[in-house]
Amino acid sequence: MSESLLEALDTKTQRRLTSTILLTLPMVLLTAFMYVGGGMPHGWRATVPMILTYVFVNVLFFQMLRTGRTDKYRAAFFITMAITFIISFMTNLIEMRGSLVLSAADMAKGETPFCHMVIPMTIIPAALTRTIIFPGRILGGFADVATMFTLWIGATLALGRGFCSWGCFYGGLDDGFSRLRKKPLIKKISERWTYLPYAVLVAIVLLSALTLSPTYCAWLCPYKAVTEFAAITSSTVVVQTILFYALFIGLVIVLPILTKKRTQCGLFCPFGAFQSFSNKINPFEIRINRDVCKDCQVCAQKCPTFSLDRNSIENGRTRLSCMKCGRCVDTCPKGAIAYHVKGTPLTFNSQRARLLFIYPAFLFLVVFGGGMIRDGIYRILLLISTGSMIR
Amino acid sequence: MEGLFLGLATGTACLAYCAPVLIPYLIGEGKGIRQNSLMLVVFLIGRLYGYLLFAVLAWLAGLLIGQGIIYRDLIFGGTYLVLALLLMIYGFSTSERYCPAKISSSLSEKFARLWPSLLPLVLGFFTGLNLCPPFFLAIAGAAKTGTLAGSLWFFLLFFFGTTLYFVPVPLLGIFRKFQQLKMVARLAAGTVGLYYAYIGVIMIFGGVKRL
Ligand code: SF4
Ligand code: SF4
Repeated sequence: MSESLLEALDTKTQRRLTSTILLTLPMVLLTAFMYVGGGMPHGWRATVPMILTYVFVNVLFFQMLRTGRTDKYRAAFFITMAITFIISFMTNLIEMRGSLVLSAADMAKGETPFCHMVIPMTIIPAALTRTIIFPGRILGGFADVATMFTLWIGATLALGRGFCSWGCFYGGLDDGFSRLRKKPLIKKISERWTYLPYAVLVAIVLLSALTLSPTYCAWLCPYKAVTEFAAITSSTVVVQTILFYALFIGLVIVLPILTKKRTQCGLFCPFGAFQSFSNKINPFEIRINRDVCKDCQVCAQKCPTFSLDRNSIENGRTRLSCMKCGRCVDTCPKGAIAYHVKGTPLTFNSQRARLLFIYPAFLFLVVFGGGMIRDGIYRILLLISTGSMIR
Repeated sequence: MEGLFLGLATGTACLAYCAPVLIPYLIGEGKGIRQNSLMLVVFLIGRLYGYLLFAVLAWLAGLLIGQGIIYRDLIFGGTYLVLALLLMIYGFSTSERYCPAKISSSLSEKFARLWPSLLPLVLGFFTGLNLCPPFFLAIAGAAKTGTLAGSLWFFLLFFFGTTLYFVPVPLLGIFRKFQQLKMVARLAAGTVGLYYAYIGVIMIFGGVKRL
């Protein structure tokens, strides 16, 4: 290689590095403001988690920009958020209520933390009865209804169903398990099952309206197995608890390992189905350049959420369920897939649309997950130094 | 309200299965939205008659089983359970089934030749006699009410629940995504079957306790 070529390459690399640093800088400053805006924490047990989270977040963002790869770094954050969420949620609940068990008295007091999964079930009953059918606080307290609704509306406008890959604090679990094996053991899943989340959505919305109770939470939510559970006072609760564990083991652990897909999110979750419709109003989408695409179907195989198939690839678009995780963009051997802002020209070689998407998406992840990761690390340090995760 | 719920929950399946048979009659003539809507109303009236006829039959069946007898919960619970299982098979299996209205379409054609303007009414009546699992569940639900008024009310609500899905048909280009809608509808019916299976089991337990 001639010297001038080497020099040119060097200048190109330097320029890229500089632009990456410049683009990372706003995130570095924003997160610094977020973490120390309220003053420095006291004691090493609070300071260490803050520093670790700060470094973790910014290194991931820097890498995302430097390498041009999205999914790997997103997943690292997303999975960590899910694990630390469970640690943080459980310990906070024990501190607040004394145990993970949700008693009838707690429900009457409205002490149940609200979760976004309940949103589709609350709409019809709220219109009919002007009440939110959930035993949680409307305003004030841990995970109150108003805060969760506000966060969800913000995420929906900014990300559409991207919420399920950049915001949901449960999604990282099946995402994580789906990455454990190198190759899937089950390769073929009938397309009809990808419609099941919509069917579950129809059923639970109607049942919730009929019974005026959040049916999904009471009967079908797999994540009950790792958050809180009702006190076992009747055979009904026994059946419910068995269902929670069976669904969790099946949909969140075993099937993701066997299929390398996010089976809970892609084949069951009614909130995800509900959120899919927000992709219609969200400005970001994933598009395929048909001029470059070789129809190799690699993207369809790699998509963890069943959002690409032969049909959709032929149309140059994803299915409605796309969670904007970026894996297809990263893995297409021809570089034929890209993030795109609706209404703008389809320029597949531009990184601008990707940047426009990952900035708000990552920021949302930081706002939603940063606190969980910090608290999770804090609890682990507490366990190591005192033998208990509870303050 | 159970009738309304059952109608709403299974109406998607009614639409998905019966619409391909019905819609050509409704919109195939290309008469415009107002004419189509009028035909739809006549069709729905026919359907309502079919339902009310079954409401009376369900009430008679309820009378036969009797109100006070000790086995009542067991009989209804068992019926619910069996029908819920049927609903689940219907929802989750991959086999293709056809709307019974299709069977009656040859009969309807005869009517069409005799009284063309009454065709939507006749079609409506025959789909009202649609013997699919959700419909059987409605019969069981109505029979359980024990009174003629209760049974009629149940079927009326069931009718309203299922009818909601038919209303936009002349207005929307619903067929573009028809395959997908059909799939969701069947799976939703199957999922609702789980709920009815649970109700059935609870009733059986109640019945056993009373023995
Ligand atoms: S991986 Fe790329 S080239 Fe292959 S089918 Fe998908 S878009 Fe086309
Ligand atoms: S289509 Fe691409 S971006 Fe959308 S969920 Fe699948 S892999 Fe992720």
